[in-house]
Amino acid sequence: MDKLIIVGREFNSRLLIGTGKFASCELMAESIDKSGTEIVTVALRRVDIDNKNDDMLSAIDRSKYLLLPNTSGARDAEEAVRLSKLARAATGINWVKLEVTPDPYYLLPDPVETLKAAEILVKDDFVVLPYINADPVLAKKLEDIGAATVMPLASPIGSKQGLKMRAALEIIVEQAAVPVVVDAGLGTPSHAAEAMEMGADAVLVNTAIATADDPPGMAEAFKLAVQAGRMAYESGMPASDKKASASSPLTGFLRDE
Amino acid sequence: MFLAELRMETLRINGVEKQFPDGLPQTLTELLKELNINAATVVAEIDGEIIARHNFAQTQLSIGQHIELIRFVGGG
Amino acid sequence: MSLEQKHSDSNIKAILAEKNLNGDSPTWQGRLQKISGENVEKALFEPAGSYRFKKLLALISPAAENYIEQMAQIAHQLTIQRFGRTIRLYAPLYLSNYCTNSCRYCGFNKDNKFRRTRLTIARALQEAEVIASEGFRDILLVSSEDREFITVDYLVELAVRLRDKFSSISIEVYPMSTAEYALLFNAGIDGVTLYQETYNRQAYHYYHPAGPKSDYDDRLNAPDRIAAAGMREVGLGALLGLTNWRLETLALAEHAHCLIKRYWQSHISFSFPRLRPAYEVDGSQLEHLPSDKNLVQMIMTLRLCFADAGLVLSTRERAQLRDHLIKLGITKLSAGSKTNPGGYSVHSRAIEQFEIDDNRSPAQVAAMIKQAGYAPVWKDWDSAFVKD
Repeated sequence: MDKLIIVGREFNSRLLIGTGKFASCELMAESIDKSGTEIVTVALRRVDIDNKNDDMLSAIDRSKYLLLPNTSGARDAEEAVRLSKLARAATGINWVKLEVTPDPYYLLPDPVETLKAAEILVKDDFVVLPYINADPVLAKKLEDIGAATVMPLASPIGSKQGLKMRAALEIIVEQAAVPVVVDAGLGTPSHAAEAMEMGADAVLVNTAIATADDPPGMAEAFKLAVQAGRMAYESGMPASDKKASASSPLTGFLRDE
Repeated sequence: MFLAELRMETLRINGVEKQFPDGLPQTLTELLKELNINAATVVAEIDGEIIARHNFAQTQLSIGQHIELIRFVGGG
Repeated sequence: MSLEQKHSDSNIKAILAEKNLNGDSPTWQGRLQKISGENVEKALFEPAGSYRFKKLLALISPAAENYIEQMAQIAHQLTIQRFGRTIRLYAPLYLSNYCTNSCRYCGFNKDNKFRRTRLTIARALQEAEVIASEGFRDILLVSSEDREFITVDYLVELAVRLRDKFSSISIEVYPMSTAEYALLFNAGIDGVTLYQETYNRQAYHYYHPAGPKSDYDDRLNAPDRIAAAGMREVGLGALLGLTNWRLETLALAEHAHCLIKRYWQSHISFSFPRLRPAYEVDGSQLEHLPSDKNLVQMIMTLRLCFADAGLVLSTRERAQLRDHLIKLGITKLSAGSKTNPGGYSVHSRAIEQFEIDDNRSPAQVAAMIKQAGYAPVWKDWDSAFVKD
């Protein structure tokens, strides 16, 4: 199977893992391991200075996994840019998953602020992976300004509804000249396989794994599903049973040649 | 009294006023130690400016500064 | 990270070289021969109008000749779905046949001795008047490589004067710079047609031995400049008959695909100029000339791979063939064309670029379109909406 390439960097795994909502750091670490992932997202939050907290970062082996900070919590471009710079200062990594979600109910991304932030961050030498609604025009605009990938949602974060946005995602996949990472709303391994069969370059999964009864087991299931979906895509999807509607012959005139 | 209160040494940390009756920690490193925060995994911002980790020990603190201490947590 | 870096994979020159689509390539010829009926059937089941190279290869192969009717049915349905039952009409206005190139196949070749004609702005406007009176609102300004007279300024002036009369003005002239195209765009020109003629480097070199047109790369990169300047319509094509038409189709499709990915706001059209007898051009060496069946296969292959591309047919082709082709994916026709400068307003003896084979008047062509169950569309866009 061919590799996932983002800004020239190669990855074998097409499954990205989000680290939120896990019951413990240990479960998180084990799930990451079982998923076979190479890219792991994290968020930034204020330290709670009155309580001693686990330091989840130490549970992630930075030599094995590329840490991808996200800007979750940002409600506008300015906040997102600030969070990105903080993340870069902390890790030295200039990759950022740009997430600007002013709506606290569905956590849907703000297209205007996302585009604004992406432009600023790209100019400041960040590798920007923007999280967006499945909007093909927005995806092309982000590509134009230098986003490294686009990350359209399949359905709202945590909803586990699968590829509700399938029709729009197909257009994005068709038109994109950068990798397409389907992110958010994938609830089952079959959803992930479906996204890959459709031609997505990768998927990002968080809630479905973190909230499963057996997160590491589910992580492995997703790993296999993503591989299967990609293999199917590369092998050429099987013919669908389409019947052309009967109509009078159109090329009979050629036989008179 | 009033004047003494004015001279109480405070810092605004993560949006909350914190008082230091024994005096402000001199540097950022000292502050983190006092708060029992692992300096290796925290990001610090003072009055909106990010402080690089290798500068923590040299960064002097003064009264009334707005300090943000941020760390990585799980997220999608 | 610069945009150029990011889009390095959308460089058509690199793609053609990498895939070896800019030469004779016995490899590709061999692969085409090996395509089986099963491969073609699989390609036909892929979503209609979607582009995949493997699919393109199967549909343009010799094996696909047995599936022409099936391809036609799909192309017919798809075109109606995307374009409705409509055919757009346009007219070419030839401005000059002075030329500094020596293209072997062309009647305007600089080494051909005949009295050349150039139209002043005033005469061009006269011609345009006639064209407009026939009902056209979509005009294509054509010229040979006459940079001396048909300058950017000339075209700008003409466009500005034609804007009131025509809702769509395109040009088909020599390649220009992005800045020049931008000037033309601001003047009211919204489309540029530029045929690579042949994507095969050796053949290109042979057929274009002298003059500015001998520069293959400059011509190849021109559509990028056209789109970058903001033109709404970009017309591509290969002159069919110069080399292997199946290989040309592969390269042409890759070119379009490349442009579409990068310049997603521009609309691509394909034309299908087949070599025709022309003044002092030897018509006998036409071993590569595609037959009618070949032409149909090419048109439908492109339709099946590009759901929204315009497919344009000129009056080079004979009437009966054009009539059949409007149901097979064609979306735009010229009619009543005069390819000799000044040919509309006076009975001119000026030399034509090529011989016309559909001599019907625009009204007759429109009537034919209606009879076939389609609506002739004279005006499809109005730049007056967005320009002063």
